[in-house]
Amino acid sequence: MALFFTGIAAIVLGGLARVALSPRPRLASGAFALLVGTGCLVAALPAVHVLAGGTVAAARVSAAVPGGDWVFGVDPLSAFFLLVVLGVGAASALYGVRYLAAQASHGPVGVSHLLMALEIAALALVVTARSGVPFLMAWEIMAVLAYFLVVFESQHAEVRRAGLIYLVGTHTGTLALIALFASWGQRAGALSFDALAAASPALPVGGALVFALGLAGFGFKAGLVPLHFWLPGAHGAAPSHVSALMSGVVIKMGIYGLLRLVSLAGPPPVWWGWLVLGLGLASGVLGVLWALAQHDLKRLLAYHSVENIGIILLGLGIGALGARYDAPLVAVLGFAGAVLHTLNHALFKSLLFLGAGAVLRATGTRLMDRLGGLARRMPITWATFLIGSIAIVGLPPLNGFVSEWVVYQSLLRSAGIAPARAAVFAVAGLALIGALALACFAKAGGAVFLGQPRTTLAQEGGEVERGLLAPMVALALACIVIGVAPVVAVTPALHVAAAIGGVARGSADQAAAAVGPALQWISLTAIALAALVGAGWWLHERLLRRRPRAWAETWGCGYAHPEPRMQYTAASFAAPLIVAYGRAAGVHVTREPGAFHTHPKDHVLDGIALPLWTRMRTWALAARPIQQGRLWMYLLYLLGALLALLLYLALRAG
Amino acid sequence: MPRLADLLLLLVMLTSFVVLGTTRLSTCIRAVAFQGLLLGMLPLALYPNGELHTWGLAVGTMAVKAVILPRFLSWAIREAAVRREVEPRVGYALSLLLGVVAVAAAFAISTGLPLPERTREMLVPAALATVIIGLFVLITRSKALVQVVGYLMLENGVYLFGLTHVERVPFLVEAGVLLDVFVGVFIMGIVVFHINREFDSLDSARLTELTDR
Amino acid sequence: MSRSALVGLALLLGVAPLLSGIAARTKARLTGRRGAPLLQLYWDLARLRRKGVVYSRTTTWVFRLAPIVLVATAALAACLVPLDGRRALVSFSGDFVAFAYLLALGRFFLVLAALDTGSSFEGMGASREVTVAAFAEPALFLAFIALVLATGSLSLGGALGAPLTQAWPTAVPALAMVTASLFLVLLAEGSRVPVDDPATHLELTMIHEVMVLDHSGPDFALILYGGALKLALFGALLVGAVVPRAGLAPGLGLAVLVLGLLGVAVLVGIVESVTARLRLSRVPQFLTAASALAALAVILLLVR
Repeated sequence: MALFFTGIAAIVLGGLARVALSPRPRLASGAFALLVGTGCLVAALPAVHVLAGGTVAAARVSAAVPGGDWVFGVDPLSAFFLLVVLGVGAASALYGVRYLAAQASHGPVGVSHLLMALEIAALALVVTARSGVPFLMAWEIMAVLAYFLVVFESQHAEVRRAGLIYLVGTHTGTLALIALFASWGQRAGALSFDALAAASPALPVGGALVFALGLAGFGFKAGLVPLHFWLPGAHGAAPSHVSALMSGVVIKMGIYGLLRLVSLAGPPPVWWGWLVLGLGLASGVLGVLWALAQHDLKRLLAYHSVENIGIILLGLGIGALGARYDAPLVAVLGFAGAVLHTLNHALFKSLLFLGAGAVLRATGTRLMDRLGGLARRMPITWATFLIGSIAIVGLPPLNGFVSEWVVYQSLLRSAGIAPARAAVFAVAGLALIGALALACFAKAGGAVFLGQPRTTLAQEGGEVERGLLAPMVALALACIVIGVAPVVAVTPALHVAAAIGGVARGSADQAAAAVGPALQWISLTAIALAALVGAGWWLHERLLRRRPRAWAETWGCGYAHPEPRMQYTAASFAAPLIVAYGRAAGVHVTREPGAFHTHPKDHVLDGIALPLWTRMRTWALAARPIQQGRLWMYLLYLLGALLALLLYLALRAG
Repeated sequence: MPRLADLLLLLVMLTSFVVLGTTRLSTCIRAVAFQGLLLGMLPLALYPNGELHTWGLAVGTMAVKAVILPRFLSWAIREAAVRREVEPRVGYALSLLLGVVAVAAAFAISTGLPLPERTREMLVPAALATVIIGLFVLITRSKALVQVVGYLMLENGVYLFGLTHVERVPFLVEAGVLLDVFVGVFIMGIVVFHINREFDSLDSARLTELTDR
Repeated sequence: MSRSALVGLALLLGVAPLLSGIAARTKARLTGRRGAPLLQLYWDLARLRRKGVVYSRTTTWVFRLAPIVLVATAALAACLVPLDGRRALVSFSGDFVAFAYLLALGRFFLVLAALDTGSSFEGMGASREVTVAAFAEPALFLAFIALVLATGSLSLGGALGAPLTQAWPTAVPALAMVTASLFLVLLAEGSRVPVDDPATHLELTMIHEVMVLDHSGPDFALILYGGALKLALFGALLVGAVVPRAGLAPGLGLAVLVLGLLGVAVLVGIVESVTARLRLSRVPQFLTAASALAALAVILLLVR
């Protein structure tokens, strides 16, 4: 653990150095990049060690505060998430160095970097905490820092509003988590995870309360429907590298929490498995439909996070059902699918957000209907964005396919569990999600990068500098590696999953044996595809080398004066799908002369959360008279509360 | 031949789906006529060592459900000059999906029902599914003639339930024919009063406001 | 890796362009015309291969890569289907996901190529293509689930291979519905009436055709061939589902495949001559019906 803490210290130091040296920005940025980069590397070493089969001794800090000692440790689950945190964290932080440099006039750049470093450290502590109190503290630090990172451009009212909604959302979730640890800790008598796990068989009603609170609390962070309403606003408003970290890593802490809950409390109740499966399906389908209706690139990506959380939850739900019904293979594959998709989504979603940041940087807008034709001006950004798109749609030969395939495997194998066999229908749901995601990314890639520039903004954009491209290229390479050699990611994921499910030792190997040959074939298919396309390209170029290759205007079906404005817009592209599926998602389409508009409406935010908020405000105002602002009155309240408590104790004893 | 019976029941369910998915009134009527034909064949398939009673039931059902009532309905379309579209409140695709959900629910529910042992595996779920889909058509289609079709399907479902008891309570199913008489009266009402849409009000005075168009 | 599977792949690749010719001929005969030569598509391909190309100035490398990706993905997907009725060249657990997603990759690139031209017509076609796909995909997967449940095998090679022979007698109704559903999906994926019309001449009414307006020369040949290959692939799935051939000799199995493909083409031709093209807003309903059929089959297989 010493190595881990050294790394964390280096990351924090990097952040501090950035602030301390801010009079000399170049030096400060260099120190920041060096310290954060090496810190992430060093802190990742124990995780790699654990995933390779080793063990790391837990670190114990005796604490005088209630809740017992503070324990930190790395088990396979922690290790897996730690790698996600540090890998994507490093990429985002390094991207931020150059990204924010251009925006020095917009806000406190140095502080933002410091917050970023602290956020990474807090995330690392969340996944390694082995006891309730440090877990909640790291959790809260992570949530609050994320708020400050989001409101970097606080001069915009929209950003402030998004930040506020986020803050309320995340704290509601934290409230549920505090209740979770309090109720569980009361049974266990201590808050260390070991004690909690030991007490889990004694939980009333099969731990129904614990699982319900966990789903609510961690669900808020993960952004599953209907607890997602804070997510698109916050992820859209934050600076792009912060969006990448939030979408890629921070919301995954919700998934980590749910997995940790399952690993501590044992196989969840049946209703919980079905509920998670259902919420996964709802999040997946609704998330992608909402994304289709969005024409702001970053909000679109944010809604896709909801969709991918849905896919992860499908794996988690079926894994929970498998664990409950003693089907270790289904359990391991389901949990492995969830874990693996978490990693993959972290990679390609942060890649896409960084790409969106590059577009924003080059053109100054994220509205897709003002862009177009950027593929020529930003070839590397486009190539990486395309790789991210193919990955997120789940197509071979990239990593998204691998994790969706594992989730498909677990769902299909659920047909073997008699009481849970209806879960095979989720396969069709996942197929629908995939097809809709394809439509959405064809829309996004097409509208932003292809065709002709729709406005002058898009005409002036050029490729961004190397400091921004390097993290994107690195993430794209990671997507390719996992896609072409899935074994490197699937095998550790299976071991992590076996550890979560608490299933017999052999079941990870059993699962590995079940999917092993398939993984080799997937590798082979990916290579064959690349070879086939490469050979095709070569033949194509050879064939056409001596042919006349004419360049002309796009064929306008006889119309002689095509204009960029006549291109299909993102709204028109999505319209048929929105018309067909819109009612389910609360999105509708209006037609004006010359333009289609889709109207995304967030039923949860506008229909439930905000009215509830207003209602609470009226209640709070009603309670106003007790706040007089006079000291003696507050002392009186204190006295009253003290007396009431004493009276309660006395009465209970009597 | 229990296999044959299962096939017939499956076709009964599929014809219900045709009613859900079609845009045309005439297809609805043809589908429900075909359903009547299938229902007529079912007693023969279920009780192959058929006595006269079974045969009578089969012939009677086919005559009423597959010939007389559909004819009557087609005649009503012509007489009342009804437009040929279904005009649903709930879209066709969604109707189909809800139909699938209904079938799944029927299968799920029927395993838990306290039924006498000797019932065919698929008979009860098929009956339930037909009843649910019939009700669904009644609710979601605003045109009176389509509602008649929905009612017929509902009744067909009840008939299927009756078939589980055909040996114990011999004349239960025949009693169901009385319901068909009601259908006939229903159609007469449509023709006589030129009712195109559902009955929004039970107030008979409002019927005087209807005029020929 | 068996020899007959390789021969099957070669046969499928060779016979694919014939299918649309047969469908067109059937349609012509049923409507009292003589119709184009059966081998018309082969001549078209040969002619296009010799031509030069015209590229739009708006387009980028995506436009040129898309036809290649389309054919490459379709050819790889063909390796996953047990063409001789016994085993596929490549077969692994869950490979039907790879089958569907490989085809989806081809579609993704084709759609991007259409958007690459910046033409409003091609944008329209692309938009319709992804819409149709979003309805066809669940139907296809439901059909796959039904096959998996009927045979207990998680791969296409298994589900359409020997286990299917045993599954048919026990699950006739369910498998019949799966077959019907697969045929409807074939009509949609093969851009056929009543979903799309390969013979239409009005850009506003096209789906697939309008997406590829700007492709020319060898590029266009690849796109035509890719489309034909896709139709043949779904035909092969259909033949595999209807006629389990695991008991036949490999040669005979391949002969049945070719005959079956020709039969499918004739059937497509018949459907095209007796039905009208659906209104675009009705296409989702058509494909939902396909999903409903397959879902019913899944229910039947789950409750047995």
